[in-house]
Amino acid sequence: MERSTEPGEGLPLVIGLGNAHRRDDRAGLEVLRRLKDLLPGKARFLEGPEDFTALLDLWAGAKRVVVVDAVSSGADPGTIHRIVVGPEGLPGTLHLTSTHGGSLTEAVGLGYALGRMPDSLVVYGIEAEDLRVADGLSPRVEAALPRATERIVEELRGPGPSRTGGGPPHA
Amino acid sequence: MTERTIRVDYLARVEGEGAFRLRMTGGRVEEAELRIFEPPRFFEAFLKGRSYAEAPDITARICGICPVAYQMSSTQAMERALGLRVDPALKDLRRLLYCGEWIESHALHIYLLHAPDFLGYPDAIRLAKDHPEAVARGLALKKAGNAVLETLGGRSVHPINVRVGGFYRVPTREEMDRLRSVLSGALAEAEETVRFVSGFPFPPVEEDYEFVALTSPDEYPLGEGTVTSSAGFTVPPERFEEVFEESQVPYSHALQSHRRKAGAYLVGPLARYALNHDRLTPRVRQAARDAGLPPVVRNPDQSIVVRALEVLYAVEEGLRLAEAYRVPPRPAVEMPDPVPAAEGVGITEAPRGMLYHRYRLGEGGIIQEARIVAPTSQNQARIEEDLRHLAERTPDLDEARLTSALEHAIRNHDPCISCATHFLKLDLVRQ
Repeated sequence: MERSTEPGEGLPLVIGLGNAHRRDDRAGLEVLRRLKDLLPGKARFLEGPEDFTALLDLWAGAKRVVVVDAVSSGADPGTIHRIVVGPEGLPGTLHLTSTHGGSLTEAVGLGYALGRMPDSLVVYGIEAEDLRVADGLSPRVEAALPRATERIVEELRGPGPSRTGGGPPHA
Repeated sequence: MTERTIRVDYLARVEGEGAFRLRMTGGRVEEAELRIFEPPRFFEAFLKGRSYAEAPDITARICGICPVAYQMSSTQAMERALGLRVDPALKDLRRLLYCGEWIESHALHIYLLHAPDFLGYPDAIRLAKDHPEAVARGLALKKAGNAVLETLGGRSVHPINVRVGGFYRVPTREEMDRLRSVLSGALAEAEETVRFVSGFPFPPVEEDYEFVALTSPDEYPLGEGTVTSSAGFTVPPERFEEVFEESQVPYSHALQSHRRKAGAYLVGPLARYALNHDRLTPRVRQAARDAGLPPVVRNPDQSIVVRALEVLYAVEEGLRLAEAYRVPPRPAVEMPDPVPAAEGVGITEAPRGMLYHRYRLGEGGIIQEARIVAPTSQNQARIEEDLRHLAERTPDLDEARLTSALEHAIRNHDPCISCATHFLKLDLVRQ
């Protein structure tokens, strides 16, 4: 398995997912942009690939990965979910918004099956209200962005959760 | 008489949103409907008023899996309209780019979407738990395809480097050398893929397909050719609409194509293979023999083997083109100035089959009319016939098994619903 040796390797990797043109689906991208401004040089920041299988290559072997995405679980819009991902995968009730190319849920499932997971993976989900094709976030989701950003900043300051446990058996 | 309805409201492991419904009385199928409910996307309407030069990038957005096909058909249509002759070196680069898309799209479908049907898994994740080496091979092949798109298209999803007349930028020798080594590494994985899928169980079933694909004298068709049918005729791309027509059905957002006065036909890997078998390379023909495949395959389940053979072909052809690469003197041919009013048609072979584009341009190259016929629209009626035959052949299957067999039958043709609505969900009613 090829490993990235870009500068910054060893830093935590923050991945924002979403479609910028489907209202609240851009929440993950917005938080990513704010984190980039707040933590220059403290982490690597990536806008998520449209092809979900590419996530496996991005995060395999990384120490610490945080993914931020819009979710739709029926909670109040703007609710922030924090999920420490383990081998049981992501909860099916979360309905991570996905492209036709597949979803984060599938990337995590395949990642565990193939031994291509980071040491730790935490997913921050921001409850969406409106995912129609249009610009602009809905007000309650917009209002949740500073808090979501702050929580990820704190997350990255902390020691991180214990091992997600996806070390590569097929290196 | 028992009436039975089988419905699947949301088809999994296909590109886009669709469903199907089958209604049977006794052993007879009354209705087999492939319903495409992904909202209509009105691309043909909003191309009107845009510049001819924008068509490749706008239409590429129809599909995240086969954007190159849209770029290739639209550029070909515009180049025909404007009477442009693209330099052979640039044509070769486009063929290489198209090989990348075939590798990427076919590898995804074979391993993540279709293989679970044959091996009895509900999805690729469960398949990966028991066969990690196979799924890892699929992902590695897909990555090789992505590398081609990145090198020639600028990025792996929705490439941005194709323009009418050629490319915006051509790769350097060093970039092509890296790509050559990626493709060279993928050759063994592609051969192993043919072996892997040819070991799947294939019940001895044959469908009486009318196959329609491009053919050209010296090469397996990707970016150009003449429209050829197994019914024994050939027409130039310009006459496509005289021979084939699209019509609306009330249950689907996608139009369905038929051959006028004939009926449903099939495009895609089975059709290309049957009509172009002798233009495959010796290595691919040998792999087909080793896999026990005749030169014409009418068993829809074996489409997975033909798709694997096409991956092998695309890797080998891509490697040949990468090895022969010389940096072309110019990345694109000159555009006429001013751009005249004109009309042009382009047909190329998307991974799922022929993709037709026609544009009418006004003065200055402004699009006045656009017509796009996607491969899944063309296959939709023929897929419904496959479903009907399957259900009538296996009247005693319980509902769960029949439903999964029908879903498998749909996936045999790798429908891309997003394309067809420019375009799945299953309903089985048994009476």
